[in-house]
Amino acid sequence: MSDFLAEQLSLATKQTGPEWLSELRDAGQRSFSDAQLPTRKTEAWKYTSLYNLSNAGVANAAPAAQGHAPVIPGLNGLRLVVCNGIPDVCSSDPEAMELVVRFTDADAEQQQAILAQLGKTLADKGNLFSDLNTAALTDGYFLNVAKNHILRKPLHIIYCTTPVTESGDEKFTVNTRLLVNLQSGSSATVIEHFSGEGEQNNFTNAVSEICVGDNAELTHYRLQLMSEGAYHISNCHIDLQRDARYSGFHLALGTALTRNDIVVNHNVGGSHCELNGVYVPQNKQLVDFHTNIEHKVANCTTEEVFRGIMNDSSKAVFNGRIHIHPQAQKTLAELSNKNLLLTNKAEINTKPELEIYADDVKCAHGATVAQLEEKATFYLQSRGISKEEAEVMLSFGFINELLDALDDEAIGAWLRPQLAQRFGRDDALTTHIGGDL
Amino acid sequence: MASNIEIERQIAAREYKAGFITNIQSDTLPPGLNEDVVRFISNKKGEPEWLTEWRLKAYREWLEMESPDWAHIKYPDIDYQAVSYYSAPKSMADKPKSLDEVDPELLETYNKLGIPLHEQMALAGVAVDAVFDSVSVATTFREKLKEAGVIFMPISEAVHEYPELIQKYMGTVVPVKDNYFAALNSAVFSDGSFVYIPKGVRCPMELSTYFRINEAKTGQFERTLIVADEGSHVSYLEGCTAPMRDENQLHAAVVELIALDGANIKYSTVQNWYPGDENGKGGIYNFVTKRAVAHTNAKVSWTQVETGSAVTWKYPSCVLKGDNSVGEFYSVALTNNYQQADTGTKMIHMGKNTRSTIISKGISAGKSQNAYRGLVRMNPTAEGARNYTQCDSLLLGDKCGAHTFPYIESKHPSAVVEHEATTSTVSDDQLFLCQQRGIDTEKAVSMIVNGFCKEVFKELPMEFAVEAGKLLEVSLEGSVG
Amino acid sequence: MIEIKDLHATVEDKEILKGLSLNIGPGEVHAIMGPNGAGKSTLGNVLAGREAYEVTGGSATLDGTDLLDLDPEERAHAGLFLAFQYPVEIPGVSNLEFLKASVDAVRKAQGKPDLDSVQFLKLAREKCKAVNLDVSFLKRGVNEGFSGGEKKRNELMQMMLLEPKLCILDETDSGLDIDALQVVAEGVNAMRDENRSFIVVTHYQRLLDYIVPDYVHVLANGRIVKSGGKELALELEEKGYGWLEKEEQESGAE
Repeated sequence: MSDFLAEQLSLATKQTGPEWLSELRDAGQRSFSDAQLPTRKTEAWKYTSLYNLSNAGVANAAPAAQGHAPVIPGLNGLRLVVCNGIPDVCSSDPEAMELVVRFTDADAEQQQAILAQLGKTLADKGNLFSDLNTAALTDGYFLNVAKNHILRKPLHIIYCTTPVTESGDEKFTVNTRLLVNLQSGSSATVIEHFSGEGEQNNFTNAVSEICVGDNAELTHYRLQLMSEGAYHISNCHIDLQRDARYSGFHLALGTALTRNDIVVNHNVGGSHCELNGVYVPQNKQLVDFHTNIEHKVANCTTEEVFRGIMNDSSKAVFNGRIHIHPQAQKTLAELSNKNLLLTNKAEINTKPELEIYADDVKCAHGATVAQLEEKATFYLQSRGISKEEAEVMLSFGFINELLDALDDEAIGAWLRPQLAQRFGRDDALTTHIGGDL
Repeated sequence: MASNIEIERQIAAREYKAGFITNIQSDTLPPGLNEDVVRFISNKKGEPEWLTEWRLKAYREWLEMESPDWAHIKYPDIDYQAVSYYSAPKSMADKPKSLDEVDPELLETYNKLGIPLHEQMALAGVAVDAVFDSVSVATTFREKLKEAGVIFMPISEAVHEYPELIQKYMGTVVPVKDNYFAALNSAVFSDGSFVYIPKGVRCPMELSTYFRINEAKTGQFERTLIVADEGSHVSYLEGCTAPMRDENQLHAAVVELIALDGANIKYSTVQNWYPGDENGKGGIYNFVTKRAVAHTNAKVSWTQVETGSAVTWKYPSCVLKGDNSVGEFYSVALTNNYQQADTGTKMIHMGKNTRSTIISKGISAGKSQNAYRGLVRMNPTAEGARNYTQCDSLLLGDKCGAHTFPYIESKHPSAVVEHEATTSTVSDDQLFLCQQRGIDTEKAVSMIVNGFCKEVFKELPMEFAVEAGKLLEVSLEGSVG
Repeated sequence: MIEIKDLHATVEDKEILKGLSLNIGPGEVHAIMGPNGAGKSTLGNVLAGREAYEVTGGSATLDGTDLLDLDPEERAHAGLFLAFQYPVEIPGVSNLEFLKASVDAVRKAQGKPDLDSVQFLKLAREKCKAVNLDVSFLKRGVNEGFSGGEKKRNELMQMMLLEPKLCILDETDSGLDIDALQVVAEGVNAMRDENRSFIVVTHYQRLLDYIVPDYVHVLANGRIVKSGGKELALELEEKGYGWLEKEEQESGAE
């Protein structure tokens, strides 16, 4: 066991949490205790080295009185601010605090509901970092949407990491856990928003477990806008029941290390998954997305689109697996991954995978690494726009297509200027993108 | 789907026509592998000291290595001590001087396989090197080729006649330690072909090597080396078959191609090793390392039609080293019954403006597993490089699997990589349309499969395209009741 | 206004323009007609400065400025406008952003005052109306999912916004039904004035019923082989291009 893992384990075992979670926590500690850090020889970590993870902080975060939680203008959402793992009551909407159950506040009935779902989708996976999350499980948040209930306002969960000391240079670890259960016929929008400040090498290890019930519908945003030096590893598991609909948008701006594992299970039939994502690392950042769509049953559909732009010396990894089980006849599944490299030091490794064991299916995937289209650049130039600005506009347009498709325009409008900065460091080049005219 | 059951029945009934055994007396080394065996093989071929040492070094490396486990194939651990590493017909011991001295039984074997070795009966325009277990039986048209300056002979002879060429190039494209099976091959390789095309020469004939495994419990470990000097052209084809036996037999070959500046090598394979029976019993384990280096303005084109073997593990690759070099990979892989194939290519772009094209067609039937695995790598030096990849899978029946594992690695902003993959089946609608127009199911499936593979077949030399088409047809031929 | 002398250009090492000369005065409309493959589209692309088109000889000046020495955007700044035969679709970049960027760049280069967002939006809406394009098109990606006619009207709208000196219409009539053709022609005619010149490239005479040219030139085999008044277009419509090529071959043989 590496030093980092040993320290994490020791940190986890020192935590105390509610008694009713101890069984799970113990099991997590047991399976984590003989864990090894994966090396480049492990297929799932072939392109992402965890060598630098030892730079990340291993310490409990001091509770911060109040986080600097960003506001998305125009988003009429219910804010739940979680600062260094602890709810920030001042910055959160009371309605959100009521809607979401904190594990440590759960009553007996709620405890039962939590235990019925918690860890179940992860059970067969044996993932090192979700094991760690379970080993350190002392708290978490539970959204339970009742049968046929329509949650009108989006739930906006903001996880901030905020330095507490004056100097702001302490490094720490935060494990976060979110559990979402949409009961049959219900509908909700959940925004998981990871935010961080400063340059400190905090380590966040986030696990989200989501169940979308029969005929229920979830719109899910996972926005990772953390500080440059952050280490962020997340596991997101989504179970789709009969005729469930999931629409996800996963954005990673890039940090020292960002690794996202997204697993979608089509469990019963008739479900539809729309999974989109954008990654835009810069400097020496690394973003790694591993998505895995399990078509376990017949008559389900998946549409997945991920796009990335790599600037400077950054690196991105995309691994998109679609697995069609023998029973999963009449599946429609499509995956597209497109990438742009902006410099000769940037790097992309992409691997779309199809594993198909049923014959009456329509599956396709495509992956490209490409330059901007010459035709498009020329068109802009012929209208008087300089080549430099044309390239910035076109690069932005490449990912803006996915922002335009978002259900909530406020989120797109808030993200655009932040993303625009990634391609045009010179303000003069970004005046025509991202903002409102 | 009733029609699919019909298709499955037809496919399951495919017949392996090359499955006979030649009754011949052989010198066969008892099973087992150690340094003495390596020395024995080297000694048997009268090799110079350096080559014996080269083999021993490879053997020692191999002992330290582990069998790769990343491919999408399952097979019991191979007992390398249960394999015989050398077998040759007794009649070949005296090295027959001409075809007249070759055992008629051997010649008859090749006649039966449709590869007559007498030049007057042979396919016009094709020179053949016939390899039987561990030795080359005959090489046709050698004299005619020599007039053009082309060297085409068993590698075991080339070691003696052109030692400087062998020493200069062997192991430069596929290093001894490249992988487990390449190391094993380097230690125990028996025969194979050596080709050298001099500067500016366009090889006047198609060159072809026909590999035949005959003896039971033996492995075949051939090694082929093709060097195309500056500005030369050559088209080479290999074919392979083996008798039907209940035991699995091992085949671990290494093929190295070197295309120097402006050279053009076209390498085609029709692989029809015994695939095992309908219950998955027997068949060849086919672990092959094939790689080419293309220098400036050179072009290497791999075309393969893979219908045989119980297990196929094979990735003919191109290292596009020189500027403007071109690599191509065209593949049809058909698996049936319990066959497993994990095959594809690697295109390593190093030079500027290098180009590669990958067209892969996988057909899965029965309970087989068929995977495409490919790597396209754009190195930081690969300015303006381009790749286009198209991988299509056709599934016939709902018990088989079709998989696509493409790895794309890019480190140059001006390099363009495009990968597309699709999967489909022969639909009831397609079959119904054919039937309604009076075409029976068997013919319809065969037409659809042939259409599916057309892009690849057109890359084969004409005579072999016909053969490949027939081979697929045989695979789909059967007892329509 | 524009002077083209003995222009030679190649695409992928194939010579397409083989000594083309043409003089266009202010306010004039010149039609260029010719068979497919004569080099009609090449002319527009060469003048607009597309990279793949290599000029191997000759000159082209716009009001005395050497065009061939400029980048594509500088040619636009100098007042050259190419209405594309097949305008490219650019998903993700909104039409409005694109138009604003274009107008800002051209106005800045021409020393005109900036338009603020409100002024610009007003202007863009006005021009939309002028070309009979719904304002919702401003919000969509550039040409994304536009029909053939909508793309051509979008081109025309850009022309109106940029107020160029020289407009090159590259087969603007191709793929348009008669109604759409009339809308485009009306827009072009509204822009005609004594200082603005047009090169109208077309295969068919029909467009010239609506945009009446001052001169008609026939481009064949990379050169102007015949010039005349608007009646030449009618003659071509009647006889096709075959007789001209024949005539040229014969004169070449002499």
